[in-house]
Amino acid sequence: MLKPDVIKQLKKIVGEDSILTAKEDLATYAYDGTTTWSHPPDVVVLPTTTAQISAILKLANEKKIPVTPRGSGTNISGGSVPIKGGIVLCTTKMNRILEINAANLTATVEPGVVLQDFNTLVAKANLFYPPDPQSFLGCTLGGTVAENSGGPLCIKYGVTKQYVLGLEIVLSDGYVLNIGGTTVKNRTGYDLVPLFTGSEGTLGIITKIVLRLVPKPAAKRTLIAIFDDMTLAGSVVSKILANRIVPAKIEFVDNFVIRRIEEKMQMGLPVDANTMLLIDVDGSPAAVDSEAEQVLALLHEGGAKMARQAKDDDEAALYWKARSAGFAAIYSAARTVVAEDVTVPRDRLSDFIKKLDELSKKSGFAIVLIGHAGDGNIHPSVFTNSRDKKDLERLDETLTEIFEAALELGGTLSGEHGIGLEKKRLLAKALDPRAIDIMRQIKGILDPNGIMNPDKIWERP
Amino acid sequence: MNASPHKELERFEKDTEQCMKCGFCTYVCPVYQEEKIESGVARGKNELAKALLNGDLEMNRNLADRLYKCTACMACTESCPSKAPIPRIVVAARADAARTMGVRFPYGFAYRNLLTNRKLLGNFLRFGGYFQSALMPAKNGTIRHLPGFMAAMTKGRHLPTIAPKFLRELVDEVNKPRGSKSVMRIGYFPGCMHEFVLPQLGKKTVDFLTHHGVEVVMPREQGCCGAAAFLGAGDFETGRKCADLNAAAFKDVDCIVTGCATCACTLREYPHFLADTPERREAYAKFSGNIIHISQFLTDTLSLQASAFQTAPELKGKKLTWHDPCHLNRHLGIKEQPRRILKSLADVNYIEMPDASRCCGMAGQFSLLYNELSQKIARKKIASIEASNADIVVTACPGCQYQLLDNLARLKKPQQVMSLMEVLGV
Repeated sequence: MLKPDVIKQLKKIVGEDSILTAKEDLATYAYDGTTTWSHPPDVVVLPTTTAQISAILKLANEKKIPVTPRGSGTNISGGSVPIKGGIVLCTTKMNRILEINAANLTATVEPGVVLQDFNTLVAKANLFYPPDPQSFLGCTLGGTVAENSGGPLCIKYGVTKQYVLGLEIVLSDGYVLNIGGTTVKNRTGYDLVPLFTGSEGTLGIITKIVLRLVPKPAAKRTLIAIFDDMTLAGSVVSKILANRIVPAKIEFVDNFVIRRIEEKMQMGLPVDANTMLLIDVDGSPAAVDSEAEQVLALLHEGGAKMARQAKDDDEAALYWKARSAGFAAIYSAARTVVAEDVTVPRDRLSDFIKKLDELSKKSGFAIVLIGHAGDGNIHPSVFTNSRDKKDLERLDETLTEIFEAALELGGTLSGEHGIGLEKKRLLAKALDPRAIDIMRQIKGILDPNGIMNPDKIWERP
Repeated sequence: MNASPHKELERFEKDTEQCMKCGFCTYVCPVYQEEKIESGVARGKNELAKALLNGDLEMNRNLADRLYKCTACMACTESCPSKAPIPRIVVAARADAARTMGVRFPYGFAYRNLLTNRKLLGNFLRFGGYFQSALMPAKNGTIRHLPGFMAAMTKGRHLPTIAPKFLRELVDEVNKPRGSKSVMRIGYFPGCMHEFVLPQLGKKTVDFLTHHGVEVVMPREQGCCGAAAFLGAGDFETGRKCADLNAAAFKDVDCIVTGCATCACTLREYPHFLADTPERREAYAKFSGNIIHISQFLTDTLSLQASAFQTAPELKGKKLTWHDPCHLNRHLGIKEQPRRILKSLADVNYIEMPDASRCCGMAGQFSLLYNELSQKIARKKIASIEASNADIVVTACPGCQYQLLDNLARLKKPQQVMSLMEVLGV
C-alpha cells in the first residue's frame, strides 16, 4: 500500500481526473492479454505530458515505488502486469499524432496513439507503417516500441525496431532523454534507440516516438492455399523463399484454428482443411501479378490441395480478419492456454512442425498452430481444460520441450511477444549467461533502484 | 431463498469466460474512446463481473457506477473475436446492484411508480406538459425545456413537448383495414414516446398499416416496455411488472409491431432476463417471439414494393441519411431494411453517413447519469451527420432522435431529425 502522502503528491502532478485509486478501478489494471498473470496496482496514473511523467518518476524513484508502464494492455507476455504493485503509469491519454512529414517520410507520435488510428491517418497520406502486431485495434505505439512488436508483414518489411528513428524517454530518475532523431542515417556513438526498443518498460518510459514511414505499395494480391498435410505447407514456405521470392506475408493456420474461428464468426472458411496458408504479395502492379503467378505455381507444385487468388478485396479482407481473430479464438478455447512464441529458421519449419506433432502425441495436450510461417514464428499454443495440478506441471514440461526443440533447430525463445513474466523462467536457457549479465548491468545503470517494471525478463538471481 | 448477492450474474458466468482480453473492444467502445479508462470498456467490465463472482470484489456504489457507464451499444460484441456478450453481463450485474442497493432517487421512484401504471404516467406527463407550455417559451420550433421535476431528471436538455392528446385518444382499439379484406391482424405497441410525445406518428403508423390491408389492434392494457427500469437500472422487479402487463395485453394477433427500436429490442429481451418462473418463461417466450420492428415488418413480412413508399411532400428535393439505432442494428440485426425503404423514396437523395452504426450516446439512463460524456459521444455522431452533407437524419428510435435533436440544437446545426415513419407519405 502506498502512503496517502504519495497519492496526494501524484494527484498534484496529474490532477484529480487522471488518477485512479478505487479498488474497482485497480482491478481493471491488473491484467494484460495473457491468461494466467494478474496483480492489481496500488494506484493508476494517466499522465498527459512528459513533464508529468518526469515528476511521477522522480517521486517514485525517491520513494522506491515500483512503476509499471502500460498502454492498452494488449501484450501477451505479462509485461504490463504490475506484479509488484505500486504505480501503473498508463499512457492512453497521451494519444496525439504530432506530425506526419510526407517529405521526410517520418511521423512523430505520443506513446498512447493506437496503431489502427495511426495506420488510418498514415494511409490518408498514401504512406505505410508496416509493423503489424495482430492487436492493432487496441495496442498503443508506445507499447509496440517497448515490445519491439512484429506481425505478418515482418517477413518482407521487418519489425518495429527497423522503423524507430528517435525516442524521447523519461529515465527512472525523471531525466528526459532524447536519443536518435529524424534522420534515416544516424551514426553517432552507440545506438541507444534499439536498446530501448524492446526493453519492455524496464529501462524508462517512452514519451515521444519518431517513426520511419514507407510509400504505400501500389498493388496487393492475396492468395489462399489449402494443404492436407501440415509439413507440406511448411516445406512450401521454405521453397518460396528459396526461389528468391519474399511475399509481404505468409501466414499459417491449422485446422483447429480454422474451425474455431468459423464457429465464432461464421464466415465460410474451409473447415475441413488440414492447414491453410494465407499469402500476400505487394509492390508495383506488374511485379505483383508475376510474383502471384510464381507463388501459385510453387503452391501447386508443393502439393497444395487448392490454391487460388482471393476473388476480390472483400474476400481478402475476410480471410485476413479471420487470421487476426486467430489468437483470440485460441485463448478462449480452454481454461489454460499458453501461446508459445518460439521461432525457428525458415528452412527448418517442416522439421519443427513434425516435432510438434510428436510432442502433442506424447503429452496428450492439444498443440495448435497459427502464425507467421514466413518468418518461422508459428506460435504453437498448448492448452488444457484441466485444473489438476499434475496436469499443469506436465503442461509446463511440454512447453519446455517445445522450446528446446526450437533451440535445437537453431531457433529462439521469443520472436515477437517478449519475455515479460510468461517466458522468464526459460531465459537462462536461451541466452549466453554473459549476455544476461550485461543486460543486468545496463539495467543497473539506467534504473539503479530497480523501480522500472520490476520482476520482468529475469528470474531473481 | 437464494441468498447469493449475484443471483442474476451467476446465470451469465459462462459468458464471462468468453473474453480473452485481446482489447479489440477498446477500439469501438464509445465510452472508452472518450475516457481511455479500462473500467469503461467491455474487457474491464467483464473482469469486474468475474471479480464479483469469485469474491474478489463486493458490490458497492463504485462498482455499480462502472456498470452503469455503458451504453449497451454492443459494438464490443460485434468487434469481439469470441463474440463475448459483455453488455448482457453488465445488465445482469446491474440487476444484482439494484436488488442489493436499490435504484437511486429519483429514477427508482419514477420507474416503480410510473412505468407500471399507464394512467398515472399519462397524467404525470400531462401535468408536466401543462406547465411546460404555460411557463416556457417555445424554442427551436417544438423543442422546449421540460419543467420542474422532469427538468431535474433530464438535466435541462432540449426535449419535445408532451402532446395535448395521447395516442389512445386518437386511434381506436381495433382499426380495420381500409380495403375489403385484411391480410393480417397485428398488435401495435407504440411505446411511451409514440403514445405520449409523438402520437401523430403513432397515428400515421396505424393509418399506413390499415392502408396496406392490415388490421391493427392497439390493446389499452399495454404499458411501458420497461427498458429504462430493467435494462438501464437493473430493476428487474419493475421489469417483470411491465413484462407481465404487456405479455397479457396482446391476444389473437399474428405479430406485434412497434416503431421504436428500443421497445422492439426490450420486448425481445423479456425471456432472457426476466423469466424467473416456468410460467413467465413460457409467456415471455411466446410474446417476445412475436415482436417485429416496423421497418422489418413493412419490407420483409408485408414485402411492400418500392412504390408503396411515398415521399412526404415537405421532403421533396432533400438529402436524407440514416442513423442506425444500436437496438436495431446490432441487437436485432436490422441494417438493410430501413435503408431499403429510404432508398426507394422518389425525389429525395439518400446518402450514407460515415460510421452510421456508431452509438449516439443516448442509452436512456446513461445520458442522465453521465450527461457530459453522453454529449461528447453525440458530438462524434453529429460530425458524421455533417460529413454526409444531408439535410435530414432519419432514425427509428425516439431515444436516438432526442439525443440527436438535443445535440444538434446545442451545437446550433441546421440538420433536422426525423423518424422513419415521419418521412413516409400516406
